[in-house]
Amino acid sequence: MCVWCEKYADGYQRWYFNPANYARKLYKVRKEEAEATGAEGSPMAAGGMALLTDEFLQAWDRKDYATVDKMKQDIEKLSWAAHFGQVVTLEDTLKVIDLLYPIAIMTCVCRRSMLGLPDEENFTCIGMGPGMYKWERWPNTYRGGVQFLTPEETKDIVTRLNKRGLVQTLFTFGTPYIGGICNCDYPDCAAIRTTLDFGVRTLWKGHHVAQVDRDLCNGCASCVHRCQFKALSFSPSQQKAYIDQFQCFGCGLCVTECPQDAITLVERASLPALADVW
Amino acid sequence: MLPKITVDDNKCNDPLSCRKCLLACPMHALGLGTKVGPKKFQEIPPEQFRVAGVRLERCTVCRDCVRVCPSGAIQVVYDGGAGK
Repeated sequence: MCVWCEKYADGYQRWYFNPANYARKLYKVRKEEAEATGAEGSPMAAGGMALLTDEFLQAWDRKDYATVDKMKQDIEKLSWAAHFGQVVTLEDTLKVIDLLYPIAIMTCVCRRSMLGLPDEENFTCIGMGPGMYKWERWPNTYRGGVQFLTPEETKDIVTRLNKRGLVQTLFTFGTPYIGGICNCDYPDCAAIRTTLDFGVRTLWKGHHVAQVDRDLCNGCASCVHRCQFKALSFSPSQQKAYIDQFQCFGCGLCVTECPQDAITLVERASLPALADVW
Repeated sequence: MLPKITVDDNKCNDPLSCRKCLLACPMHALGLGTKVGPKKFQEIPPEQFRVAGVRLERCTVCRDCVRVCPSGAIQVVYDGGAGK
């Protein structure tokens, strides 16, 4: 079972359906913790991803796995306490949007730092909850400003970003306070990159796994470009889509693209050997 | 052996609007940061932004960033392998 559900679902089907995890009280707690660690409440500094330093890369490069493992554990520990993400399906994302207010669209800090994307092209991040009322305190985090949205406008935007091929992820800001819906892609999302390239789990897999029906798959390969997690490939010998289900993050992007409806999402918990693969 | 990417901040002005190297890098090994940390109620001015090699393990030493930089600010040094 998902450890976050074990700790924070409180009777709801999943931890991110529990409205308490979007509440102001948690946000207050987060500020004190973050300030105590010197992070000054900055989302950029709050995450463990910032700890993936030159020292880590050098240890990785010289194959010093003892040091890498140690640093990896430290990064994950901080990340899981302060700022980590979990992949969510579009369907679950739309349900989450109905749980909270206010909601605002803001610029993506990852794409700014990897691509220098101009603000006007970079409004792909959804900030939400009481923290958004205080966005003006951190004008650099919120470069380009924010635009407050109705739930219906938010659903429309997230659905369009999903169609464009971006993965929906929920992020904590002082776990279990959930303060953002990111719309991510590899390699510019720091969380996907850190997780895939180094196995440092700043992004958790979602509650589903994609499965191909080989009778329905006609080999059109239109799904292949949708996968941001290196889980989906095309088998030339079989002329079918192939999904590595141990690698699948369960975002559902391939499902929505398949014209044959040959890919479905199944519950991770329904596959015993995958139930604890996060 | 990791490559070394050095960017001369005195030559590289306003990378936030230039960003040629960020887009040229086929492996997205470069990143954009700032010379100062986040400050309350202050937006960081463009001249405080800087480029650095942040994902050196992905750098193939193709030197496309060096070629594309309009001010010659980037150097890529590699001491390992055959690509000296």
